[in-house]
Amino acid sequence: MADRDPGGAAPALMREMRIDAGDIERRSKAVGLEAADLPRLAAIKDLVVRRAGDYTNLFFEHLANLEDARAFIASSALVDRARKLKNAHLLEMASGDYGARYVEQRLELALLYANAGLEPRAFLGAFHRLLNAMGIDIVKQFERAPLEGFEHFMSLKKVAFFDIGAIVDVLIFERERIIRQQHEAIRELSTPVLQIRERLLLLPIIGVIDTHRARLVTEGLLQAIRSNRAKVVVMDVTGVATIDSKVANHLLQTVTAARLMGAHVIVTGLSADVAQSLVALGIELSKVNTVGDLQGGLEEAEQLLGYRVHPVDVPGASPVRGA
Amino acid sequence: MFFDHSPRGATVVPSDVYVRIEHESDIVTARQKGRELANAIGFSSTDQTIIALAISEIARNIVSYAQRGGLTFSLVEGGGRHGLTIVARDDGPGIADIELAMRDGYSSARSLGVGLPGAKRVMDEFDLTSIVGQGTTVTMTKWLRR
Amino acid sequence: MVVPILKQGDVLIASIQSTLSDQDLVHLRDDLAGRIGTLRIRGVVIDVTALDVLDSFATRTLLAIAHTAKLRGANTVVVGIQPDVAFAMVQLGLTLDGVATALDLEEGLDVLRSLTTRSHGRAE
Repeated sequence: MADRDPGGAAPALMREMRIDAGDIERRSKAVGLEAADLPRLAAIKDLVVRRAGDYTNLFFEHLANLEDARAFIASSALVDRARKLKNAHLLEMASGDYGARYVEQRLELALLYANAGLEPRAFLGAFHRLLNAMGIDIVKQFERAPLEGFEHFMSLKKVAFFDIGAIVDVLIFERERIIRQQHEAIRELSTPVLQIRERLLLLPIIGVIDTHRARLVTEGLLQAIRSNRAKVVVMDVTGVATIDSKVANHLLQTVTAARLMGAHVIVTGLSADVAQSLVALGIELSKVNTVGDLQGGLEEAEQLLGYRVHPVDVPGASPVRGA
Repeated sequence: MFFDHSPRGATVVPSDVYVRIEHESDIVTARQKGRELANAIGFSSTDQTIIALAISEIARNIVSYAQRGGLTFSLVEGGGRHGLTIVARDDGPGIADIELAMRDGYSSARSLGVGLPGAKRVMDEFDLTSIVGQGTTVTMTKWLRR
Repeated sequence: MVVPILKQGDVLIASIQSTLSDQDLVHLRDDLAGRIGTLRIRGVVIDVTALDVLDSFATRTLLAIAHTAKLRGANTVVVGIQPDVAFAMVQLGLTLDGVATALDLEEGLDVLRSLTTRSHGRAE
């Protein structure tokens, strides 16, 4: 039995990738694995098990010669663990049982490859080397009946491609995970909610507002209202590319949702032109507190919160803001 | 079957969960079940609330206008995504003017007759068939965002 | 399930627990209406922090409560609507137009104080 990875990362990954019974069935179907293959696999099982150690060596020898796998090979701890897992894989390859446990085993090794940054082409190259060696051995076993030998090899290849499919999917998935995280980070940066005074949030919206972004903005704002206990939000739309009725509705929804949480929203940066055209389109702007520019909006917000402006006695000095 | 199809650790959503809707207390049950399943499938907290809300509206319609009915929840797959489909069936009087019932009151002041149009707005897919004197079937689906 | 209602000075505070059926809401409405009538109540706070969904019936009932309260000279504040719930409501098209809202009980009491001051012209 392969030693289970302590962290349970493989089962979690399996859930994340939605590899369930149905998915495994589809994978089997994809490579054409069927009942007829089982007796053939059983016939070569002993051979595979006997030679598992050699095959493992071949695999890693091949990798050792590849530039693309240099970083992977360099870490002896990684390679040691990978060897153990690979050996276990080979022992199971002709077992005839290709269900969840089998797949989980593949995922565990694939995760190791992904975390080590092993290039897919390096992996494929080594795997191919391995497959070749197995093919030669099988043909030898069936020396007297080459066609049979070929058929047995074909059955093994189906399992091999089942394995490759799973492993490559993991490599892709993990790579995409990084991209997803970066996207999230970019999205968060692009819709910042700033606390500029106690109970006062500033939400400058810049760029294109589509349904998805509007949702992110709203969710972010509502969370911020709760965590900052904000009473007033100044939502500045000066930087919004186009404000058509759809965008306006999104903004209205944001305002309404904020209000449900007890926060008053002041919308700034809405030009008179845009405001007029929105009203003409039937958008209810009367319920929204709009102030021309950001400066004005901030002043109104501060007033709402009870801040007052005191002129200082020193001539020529600018007014000091005080609570 | 010769393959082992019981994934250890994978999320298994029981296929087709049914909740009978007869009393107004069943609305809460339906809502909670919907949220539970949505959670199991992996929907975000926000989407779970939205789904629960849509279910509440549809279930309430059944209680208000039909003698009895029920909701069936199913995990569905399509285009590489997973989703939750809810089929609400009742054997009530049916809806005579579907167009009127579905009129979107979004920009108008009387926003509280929301039931059907509201649910349609928040779900990804929405279908309604009704036969006067026989009953109504609403099928709605929400897909997991990737 | 009965919603507990506390009296704090001339304010009633109703704290809703998580699972609320239509019947519970109706009871709350009637309960509050009764109390506002018999006691000298100036304000009502309805705390929905524990609610994970506010649907059209709940929204209608809250509006009804606020309306009834207003007829008897009391202001109503709904507090504790969670981000998820607020978002879902707005997506569906539900609003609490005309009813004051606040983040939590503390804020709600603040809002009631200012509303009462404004309408009665003297500090509470």
